[in-house]
Amino acid sequence: MILGLLDPSFLGDVWSFARDNRDELVDALRRTLTVSAIAIAGASIIGLTLGAARAHRIPVVSQLAAVYVEVIRNTPILVQIFMLYFALPQIGIRLEAFTVAWLAVMIWGGAFNTENFRAGFEAVPTRYREAGAALGFKGIATFTNITLPIGGRIALPSSINTYISIVKNTSLMYVISYPEITTVVLQINALTLQTVEAFSTLAISYLVIVWSMSALIRILERHLALPEEAR
Amino acid sequence: MSTPDWIGPVARYVLEVGLRNTLKLSAIALVGSTLIGVTLGTLLTIRFLPTRALIRLYIEIWRGLPILVTIFIVYFALPAVSSALRFDAITAGAIALILWGSAQVAETTRGAVQSIPREQHEAASALGFGWVGRHAFVIMPQALRRLLPPLVGLLVNIIQNTTIVQIIGAPELLESAERQVERLTFEGEQHAIEIYGAIMVIFFCISFPLTRLSAYLERRLA
Repeated sequence: MILGLLDPSFLGDVWSFARDNRDELVDALRRTLTVSAIAIAGASIIGLTLGAARAHRIPVVSQLAAVYVEVIRNTPILVQIFMLYFALPQIGIRLEAFTVAWLAVMIWGGAFNTENFRAGFEAVPTRYREAGAALGFKGIATFTNITLPIGGRIALPSSINTYISIVKNTSLMYVISYPEITTVVLQINALTLQTVEAFSTLAISYLVIVWSMSALIRILERHLALPEEAR
Repeated sequence: MSTPDWIGPVARYVLEVGLRNTLKLSAIALVGSTLIGVTLGTLLTIRFLPTRALIRLYIEIWRGLPILVTIFIVYFALPAVSSALRFDAITAGAIALILWGSAQVAETTRGAVQSIPREQHEAASALGFGWVGRHAFVIMPQALRRLLPPLVGLLVNIIQNTTIVQIIGAPELLESAERQVERLTFEGEQHAIEIYGAIMVIFFCISFPLTRLSAYLERRLA
């Protein structure tokens, strides 16, 4: 019964399950983290550029970015994955599972990150930019010296939340059989039938990653907090 | 220009089976998440350590796990623990979505309840309300103003996340679309782009007005 989960020997069972399947689990976790890292890097670049374009209302780019953001945010990521992996081959575009794995979460995270950074950049008071102009900064220099450091800090917590969601969403790559941690644990479960141990290992893996990342938010928030005046 | 023959049956199946189940699942998940979330979030404001720690743990676990993993736990791991905990795909999906959704609502409710000034609690107590009455009739109605925009946002997320239940075979929108794509492929026709594209359009038409509504409410009720 459920109370059996509270039995101290249960944690031992989970531990020995993890040890028995160490090699597969480590490889799978590495793939989860690799795909997440690529997607996070890409989503940061997308978010910074398009977020800046949106905040500064750069013609055409800003409108196109808005369409991208709305389409991605208002459709389920799983349908986007289906589009990339199962529908595109119809017009001759065949992507590898690995490519779809990082691409899908990167496109998804990039849209959310565009909003994070747009909000961050727009939260920088106009008087700061005016002060930059008064000091003789040109447009780009005002952005890199004033808007980016201040707005970037404001956007940081919400952008890390998006990165956490990116990591969680890599679990959906199960549908394209990309061997990240969720896919691999289900395969091991099918072979060993150690269901409770398998899913406990899977859950613990994600919670360790996600909880560490949220702890990072709290640490960074304290470190990078702006003086009250600048908000 | 006449519409191609394959569209009729596909549209009928996707709308009658898929859309209906998606909306049903979303409604159940929204109601369940709100009821459990608001209760847990309000209880979280009580300064009693054991309940606080338990509710905190509940929130952090179900917010921390990918929804797919929660679905797998409910669908595959619970029956392994006890055969009484065997659910069909839609029920398992609804349970998983409620676990995740209620954790989100609980966290937002805690903030909303704590944002109501102390004086409101004191005034309600002075009028003779007990803890339950105070929260149900005085604090909650005020906290609801703050809660409404995030709840609409949650509804959008719930609707989109119902697609994840496709993975265990529940016949919601995406699953109904996939079945039709496979049927047509079997008959030698390729229409994956059109069908999945239509699914994206359906989700967009439902989600976009709701995201706008959420943003509007946030501005108005702030």
